Amino acid sequence: MTVRLTLFGLIASLFVGLVYVMTKPLIIEAKEQARQEQLYLLAAPLLANGRIASPVQRELPDDAPASLEHPLSITPIVTDSEQTGVVLPITALKGYSGPIELLLALDQQQRIVGIRAIEHRETPGLGDRIETRKSDWILAFNGLKYDDLAPKDWAVKNDGGQFDSFTGATITPRAVVDALNETLAYLAQHPVILEANP
Amino acid sequence: MKLSTVWLDGLWDRNPGLIQLLGLCPLLAVSNTLENAIGLGLATLFVLVLSNASISLIRTLVDDSIRLPVFVLVIAALTTCAELLVQALDYQLYQSLGIFLPLIVTNCLILGRAEALAKRETVFMSTIDGLAQGLGFFLVLVTLGALREWMSSTLILAALPPGAFIALGLLVALHQWIQGKLKQKPTERSVDQTNRRVRTTGDIS
Repeated sequence: MTVRLTLFGLIASLFVGLVYVMTKPLIIEAKEQARQEQLYLLAAPLLANGRIASPVQRELPDDAPASLEHPLSITPIVTDSEQTGVVLPITALKGYSGPIELLLALDQQQRIVGIRAIEHRETPGLGDRIETRKSDWILAFNGLKYDDLAPKDWAVKNDGGQFDSFTGATITPRAVVDALNETLAYLAQHPVILEANP
Repeated sequence: MKLSTVWLDGLWDRNPGLIQLLGLCPLLAVSNTLENAIGLGLATLFVLVLSNASISLIRTLVDDSIRLPVFVLVIAALTTCAELLVQALDYQLYQSLGIFLPLIVTNCLILGRAEALAKRETVFMSTIDGLAQGLGFFLVLVTLGALREWMSSTLILAALPPGAFIALGLLVALHQWIQGKLKQKPTERSVDQTNRRVRTTGDIS
């Protein structure tokens, strides 16, 4: 019977594998489309008379924080004559159940236009309040710039900072705030990374 | 087992949502909008029909020692497929169903049908049973979803978790009330039952 159980296991895995291979291209396409929609919504305030330019790949120096991917793919927002802002992906690596992928929109002064969680596996009802459909928490970053707060204030309240955390789920907001903190601190010193035409 | 009994059981007499009260967690959690309810109802129907059919197909190959692991394996594999398919076909629905899609695997209705029926009935019978029970579950879920979405514009409670309990309670009560009305009429069935009771006193089998 052990042999049979093993066989059933193999057949089931094969079956799931087959469906996985068949659906993979569709899923990638659907994810990309959802991401584009989010990107458009995030960039909306910057689009007054501008448009979304095609993404640019940036090689980063070795001292770049882990929240930025290598190479970094930035999406500049431009008018005919100048750049008005940029959208870039950042990753909060210390989520409760794996990495949290976020999209961050900044204007030319590196002021936060918006930030959204794109993909995560945080606990439903607790950590998933980083989503805008569950809570307004993530909107608290809008309009902030790295210099607006003292470095110690870029943390959740439990860590002595100024951002709320969720009852019963401190790890998720801490991961988001910390990733944002290290990203903004780094970008403030290396603004050239975000220039469409450096 | 008669085909009409299987259909009637799933849709009304032993409806999973209203009588057996199985799979309440997704039933209550995902019924806040009609779209979510239809999505999860269809995904559950898909898994239930295929799990009933495949478990019935392999019923002679598994003995009691590996029965449960194999059943859970089949259900988990089918649920993963359902999750991948929903993700590929409707990404927004996938996002709004969230954790409740993979949690179909723990819906006790599915393992319940496998244990109660599919492990000894023919593939045809088990498939019909999966359809009947799945549709019964789907209809309750969709009714609840439609009711709550419609009510929530005037009564905010309907959109909140307590609203789900109250709405389901009302549906169960309505079902019981209709059942009661139907039973009051003296039917041939009840006459049959009294007769049999008299006859069987001497012979228990």
